Amino acid sequence: MLAYLIRRLVFSVPIVFGVMLVTFFLFFVVQSPTAMARRILGQKATPQAVENWLHNRGYDKPLLVNTRSGEAVYDTLFVSQMKRLVTFDLGNSDVSGRPLRDVFASGVLPSLLITVPAFFVGFLMALGVSLYLVFVRDSLLDVVATLLCVALMSVPPMVYIIFGQYLVAQQLNYLPAFGFSLQGLSTVKFLFLPVGLMVISGIGAEVRLYRALFLEELGQDYIRTARAKGLSSTRVLMVHVLKNGMINLITVVVASLPFLIMGSVVMENFFGIPGLGNVLFSAIQASDFAVVQASVFLGSLLHLGGLLLTDLCYAWVDPRIRFQ
Amino acid sequence: MMFPPTSDSSKARWLFAWLASLVLWIAGCSNNPYPQPERLVREDGTPWQVRYSALPEDPRSLDPQVSYDSVSRRILEPVQECLLEYHPMKTDPYELRPCLLEALPERLDRPGGGHTYRCTLKAGIFFQEDPCFPEGKGREVTAEDVHYAFQRIADPKLESPVLSTLQDYVVGMGEAFEEGRKNGRYDYSHRLSGLEVTGRYTFDLHVSRPYPQLLYWLAMHFTSPVAREAVEYYDGQLHGGETRPLFRFHPIGTGPFRLAEWKRNAFVRLVRNPHYKTTRFPEEGWGGDREAALRPLAGKALPLIDEVHMTIFKETIPIFMLFRQGYLDGMGLGKDAFSSLMTPSRELSQKYRERGVGLHRSTEPSTFFMSLNMEDPVVGPNKRLRQALSSAFDVQKYLDVFANSVPLAAQQILPPGIAGYRKDFQNPYGYNLERAKALLAEAGYPSGRDASGKVLELTFDTAATSATERAMAEFEQKQFEQLGIRVRVVENTFARLMEKLDQGSFQIASGSGWMADYPDPENFLFLKYSKNVPPAGKNESRYKNPEFDRLFEKMAAMENSPEREQIVHQLIEILAEDVPMIMNMHRSQFGLTQPWAPQVQDNPMLEGGFKYAVLDVSLREAKRSEWNAQPLWPVGILAGLFVVGAIFGLRSSKKE
Repeated sequence: MLAYLIRRLVFSVPIVFGVMLVTFFLFFVVQSPTAMARRILGQKATPQAVENWLHNRGYDKPLLVNTRSGEAVYDTLFVSQMKRLVTFDLGNSDVSGRPLRDVFASGVLPSLLITVPAFFVGFLMALGVSLYLVFVRDSLLDVVATLLCVALMSVPPMVYIIFGQYLVAQQLNYLPAFGFSLQGLSTVKFLFLPVGLMVISGIGAEVRLYRALFLEELGQDYIRTARAKGLSSTRVLMVHVLKNGMINLITVVVASLPFLIMGSVVMENFFGIPGLGNVLFSAIQASDFAVVQASVFLGSLLHLGGLLLTDLCYAWVDPRIRFQ
Repeated sequence: MMFPPTSDSSKARWLFAWLASLVLWIAGCSNNPYPQPERLVREDGTPWQVRYSALPEDPRSLDPQVSYDSVSRRILEPVQECLLEYHPMKTDPYELRPCLLEALPERLDRPGGGHTYRCTLKAGIFFQEDPCFPEGKGREVTAEDVHYAFQRIADPKLESPVLSTLQDYVVGMGEAFEEGRKNGRYDYSHRLSGLEVTGRYTFDLHVSRPYPQLLYWLAMHFTSPVAREAVEYYDGQLHGGETRPLFRFHPIGTGPFRLAEWKRNAFVRLVRNPHYKTTRFPEEGWGGDREAALRPLAGKALPLIDEVHMTIFKETIPIFMLFRQGYLDGMGLGKDAFSSLMTPSRELSQKYRERGVGLHRSTEPSTFFMSLNMEDPVVGPNKRLRQALSSAFDVQKYLDVFANSVPLAAQQILPPGIAGYRKDFQNPYGYNLERAKALLAEAGYPSGRDASGKVLELTFDTAATSATERAMAEFEQKQFEQLGIRVRVVENTFARLMEKLDQGSFQIASGSGWMADYPDPENFLFLKYSKNVPPAGKNESRYKNPEFDRLFEKMAAMENSPEREQIVHQLIEILAEDVPMIMNMHRSQFGLTQPWAPQVQDNPMLEGGFKYAVLDVSLREAKRSEWNAQPLWPVGILAGLFVVGAIFGLRSSKKE
């Protein structure tokens, strides 16, 4: 297991390097630092102000090779950016100058407060509903529920948000349409609506997927054997189908776990939750490329981490799979 | 402590208890989106008054010498007072009055040219209480704090956006900047020769040539005093296990409010400075229609409210929702809410009038236009062509289509309220298609074709990155093509367009304009001064006219007077005739206020004007209760469903 883990980590290095290359290309070649400066400094900025801004951030260095006399060939923007990413020195925001570690650290908790409950509640509800639909498969209820799932999947998240805010916050006046506060129990009232809407907007797709996975299991020989032994449908579903279906579910579920940290851009913006999704949205609006670049880099690392975790879990729950 | 149940019947009861609690909890919740304010009542037992408003984003920097965006200014204004300030109600013309200074500076002639502005600070003004001062008590403001502020402007590391202007006038500022840049760090032990401290509260500000606009800079936070100990204390480093914020995120001023809390991407909270005594509510200056409302406030101590809570909204829909619920005391009327709130005749809808909502239209001191490149071989030398293009553009139709007719169609480069603005002036080359065609023929392009019969083709650079911006560009293109010419639209990113405007690589370009730094005609007319061609300044049209320059230089060095106004009128006429730009608009917007938070000041040079804000908290509470009543039927239905479910569950478990 340890050897497998080390091998996977070693394999991740070129992938991470590739991500860093792409990130650099996107943020410093496709979009020049001068363009960044102009966007941030605005319409009134003079060329001198732009030059000063670039100089203070080291963005006036040559891109790939330094041919200036008296300076090292490798004293370039590429090398300095790579060095920063490799050492996890995320630097400061281009717009506010705030250290990025603070920017990200302050957003993690609010993001997790909505994504974790939404993830687990959604997962458990989808699991329960999909198992029940498998139990009553091919019935009218199954057909209606499947159609409902397709309908739920087809509605864009924005519609859920606007309708949810309108109904619950504006017509019924039960919960706030906007806002966030970390003041003990009152925090829950700010989370209830966004979490509920995240669950509803995601449940259609999840139920359809889990149902399909469980139905596939239901056609396996061991299920026929279990039935032949005289086991009840409930026992077949809850013990055999659920347990074996979980192996497939893990690939879907575990890979998405690291992304819970990154929050939800749309939900956080519409509800004013100061999480990482909100941070990313603000950075894009303000052309704060230091934040966007760091988000892309951290996001790709989380993605790699998620895949690695999935592989490990997969091998752990299924003894047939060997690390070789 | 609640233990997990074991038997089926207790499971059902446990579930029922939890679901019932949930229903009761929801029923007990309110849709109030705010955390508790700092206090609920004042020391005298009256309600603590919190003003709720909206911000579109986090402030970028609250460093007074750096901050230049309107969001940051909105927070700095009530925290960091300036040496002078604008009268909150006088806008035609604008009027400066002393704030931290005892009186307006005395102007003296300076040997060798230029002027000296002799200034005296009010005695007994203290910085707000903060741990950066000994025992947390705010220190008295002295002339040294103003000297330090001017040094900070010259510090290259700070990137003060006003350095490029002030270094042209304030003696020694340019040299101090260059020295700091050369040495890699600014030496604060070197005195700035342009600001001479002559006593504890007195200082002389030396300018190398006449610059009457300097007084306006003293009304901006760039020149407001800064406590050196605050800058040194808030260094962003770890001290005793706690990381202190950077000074740019923790302003320490003398203003009526202090920054109490700032949750990034969530809200900013300002709380009144209990020791504030610099200014009082004006005793005159409001129009007769507001006499009854404002007279009782005359001479009152400021601020009139206790707290300002600014929520950060990235989306506009929640702003409208919260305003309707009474949780915002005011809002700007954007495109999204326009059709819901306004009638086709641009009046507030009946429903909101009945609610007592106030509608206010304000025009920013700004002017936007399309630049015509005077160095372009086709557009530059052909005045008739420029006049024809200007006459072909129907700006009012453009504003009707794209801006709900809210902004004012610009007839001249000066916006309303600026000294020299001509209310009766009509752009001689405003929209008139027939005249435009005639002018084009005079320009050598009858029906849009040159002598060889070739269709005139021009390029129009625009920053069109969204569908709306593309539609705008297409509209503008079609307006020009009515002349029979061909216009090729080049879509750029904003940054690329700015680069083209700086480099002069365009024929016609949108995206030019100016929002006043200060309400003086010089601050707009300098956009066409030949010495301000980029990179030196923002004369993006590259307009060069010796007569214009001569008059501009004369006007810029003068104080406001009838003679100066005459010169400004001449300058406006020269630009109207030469058409180095096609006039577009003066940005305006509608704002809404709740009945309990009437608008007191309407000066667009102020950002918020929170120190003059008034509130009727009891009316707000009454209206909030009325507008946010919670119907009980959904709770009843939910509770009924749970009861039925629980009974069903209990029976099932008993059967088993």
